[in-house]
Amino acid sequence: MINPFEDFKEYPYEKKKIPLDRIVQAKEKVMEQIVEGYLKLVEEEVKDLVWLVEHSRLIKAYSSALRTIQKIDYDIDDIEELCLELDKGDRIPYLISGPAGIYLAALCNNAKEEKIQLRLHELKRAFHFLGYRLPEGKTLILKGNAGDFIGASLSGGKIIVEGSAGNWAGAGMIDGDLVITDNAGQNTGAWMSGGEIHIEGHIIGIGKIIHGGRIYHRGNLIRPYETTTR
Amino acid sequence: MAMPKNREETNGRKKVRDIYEFIRDNLYLNRPDIRVGDEYFNSALLFSLLSALNRGKELIIGEPGLGKTTSAEYVGAMTYRLPLGLIWASEVSGHPEQTEEKIIGRPDLGRLNQGEEVVVWSFLAQLPVKIVDEINRLPETKQSMILDGVDRGNWEYLNDVIINEEYCLFATANYQDRGTNTLIAPLIDRFDVMVESGHPGPDIALLIGMKDRHENVLRSPEYERNFQEILLERQDYHEKMHLVEALCNRFGDHMEKEFHIKMLSKTERKRIRDCMEKLPFDLDANAFLRTMIAELSFCCKYGQKRSDEHCEEGCHYTGFLCYHIKNCISNRFPTSVRTYSQSLAWLMGDEAVSIDHMKAVLPYTLAHRVQWKDEFISQKQAGQRRDPLQIFMAKEMVNEVYRRYNEQGHRIKNALAVAYQALSGKDLEPIEGDHPIYVEIKRDIEEGR
Repeated sequence: MINPFEDFKEYPYEKKKIPLDRIVQAKEKVMEQIVEGYLKLVEEEVKDLVWLVEHSRLIKAYSSALRTIQKIDYDIDDIEELCLELDKGDRIPYLISGPAGIYLAALCNNAKEEKIQLRLHELKRAFHFLGYRLPEGKTLILKGNAGDFIGASLSGGKIIVEGSAGNWAGAGMIDGDLVITDNAGQNTGAWMSGGEIHIEGHIIGIGKIIHGGRIYHRGNLIRPYETTTR
Repeated sequence: MAMPKNREETNGRKKVRDIYEFIRDNLYLNRPDIRVGDEYFNSALLFSLLSALNRGKELIIGEPGLGKTTSAEYVGAMTYRLPLGLIWASEVSGHPEQTEEKIIGRPDLGRLNQGEEVVVWSFLAQLPVKIVDEINRLPETKQSMILDGVDRGNWEYLNDVIINEEYCLFATANYQDRGTNTLIAPLIDRFDVMVESGHPGPDIALLIGMKDRHENVLRSPEYERNFQEILLERQDYHEKMHLVEALCNRFGDHMEKEFHIKMLSKTERKRIRDCMEKLPFDLDANAFLRTMIAELSFCCKYGQKRSDEHCEEGCHYTGFLCYHIKNCISNRFPTSVRTYSQSLAWLMGDEAVSIDHMKAVLPYTLAHRVQWKDEFISQKQAGQRRDPLQIFMAKEMVNEVYRRYNEQGHRIKNALAVAYQALSGKDLEPIEGDHPIYVEIKRDIEEGR
């Protein structure tokens, strides 16, 4: 059949652009930058594919993550999208839980929004270190279960886990609130020096060393022990 | 030694321009009323010349005595090397008593008495320059007699037929009075262009009045007799035309030698046409013409314009031409635009047909083809203007479509390019926009996939 537009064969054409296309394109670009940042972090931090939770490594990884994300113009949806990508593993070849959590925490802490809500209940895995160093003024709501070290080194922010938390929840937290609507694992509140932890479900174990702060179980203060006069 | 082709082309163009200037300065004096590039022309003379070169058909309107017929006669004589008297002899006048026998041909009565059916063809049917004077005085029923001849150069009488290899047609029409009839739609659509031979103004009119009207350099009684003898001979039409051509050449040589007037030979006309036909259209001209056709044929409700269907109030496309016209533009329209724009671009010495050439040609190819709605005519007819209403409205319409094209030319071209790719198999969505052209392109893609 004759193509009646033959005269325009060589004319450089542009595809139809609809607003959604532009949004998707922009989102794609941001996501590429975020994923690239994560892979860079992993490359720097996990040279032998083993990552041990050590205080100095945490600080180094977090600083590196902060530098990486500085120039990325992202929002909460992008953080949630990264969680999905990490969970699916299609675009990200390997997931190392520690750096992944630190990276997510850096993204949350530096997001433009004050209130961050991540829907995690459909994910197969739980991320560690979410809410690490969450600063004052920020609220992180996690819908679904969280991994280990949730709210570690919490620095004045508020974390609400609408699900269960793993071990070491609120470890080393300095200030702020950590609310867990379901269960908490071992060493909850270990090395904490300030702030409050509220747990509504079971607690497998409380941290042996606690420098300060309060832990409540179903509204009752369980750490420090209340002093009673006999 | 053969002349280089580009020099031949330049010579051909110079000859045509010389013809235009000779007629403009000596025979048909009038005001310039059309601008192309930096040059001004008289539209009646310019389009007559292009019609003669193009094998076109021109309708010339105007008041009686303002040179409608004479402009065509001069152009016909000079571009086809025919003496003026022969052109006069071949002219047919429109009037209610006109017959097929006078226009096309009649039986050879002597041969008929001997039992032979032989047709004596009219000069009009035989000669390449055809002039029908006052065509709108032909009753509507008789207008259809010349339809085929006008359209294809195909003349039939009894069981005989002649087909003109090369011809052009000029018809003149007066403004409506008691003696005129409406030109039937199929006939009027066959004209490529319509121009007005207007009043030249008092100063030029006085100059015309001071000239001796019985003296004309293009007349040659001797040659006229020789031509008539050939045309009246009872022999095969094609053989006669060879003789006519040879005589045309002798007449041309005579005019050049005696009066230094250069006329065009058949070979030159053919060479010029070949050059014109090769001129490409630039993409803007191409897209602009598509945009114009879209506005003249589109109807969002009924799929296309139809004379018996009327679009309603509140249509989304009320701002476009489709809302103001009754009929659908014919397929003869783009053909007319193409040939006349190419010939104008050639005359101007340009390498390609551009929007400027097209803008100059479009009003004259459209004026007679568009049937405006009455309410739109009433809005426009009282305004100040220099052109007859039909041409004035056509010019306004072209400017309006051009303005719209100017605003979204890039998008339209992109839509056409995307359409090409989509119909070539690429998975692309048609470009959308606020103009009928986008809807038409989308429809072509959907129906072509």
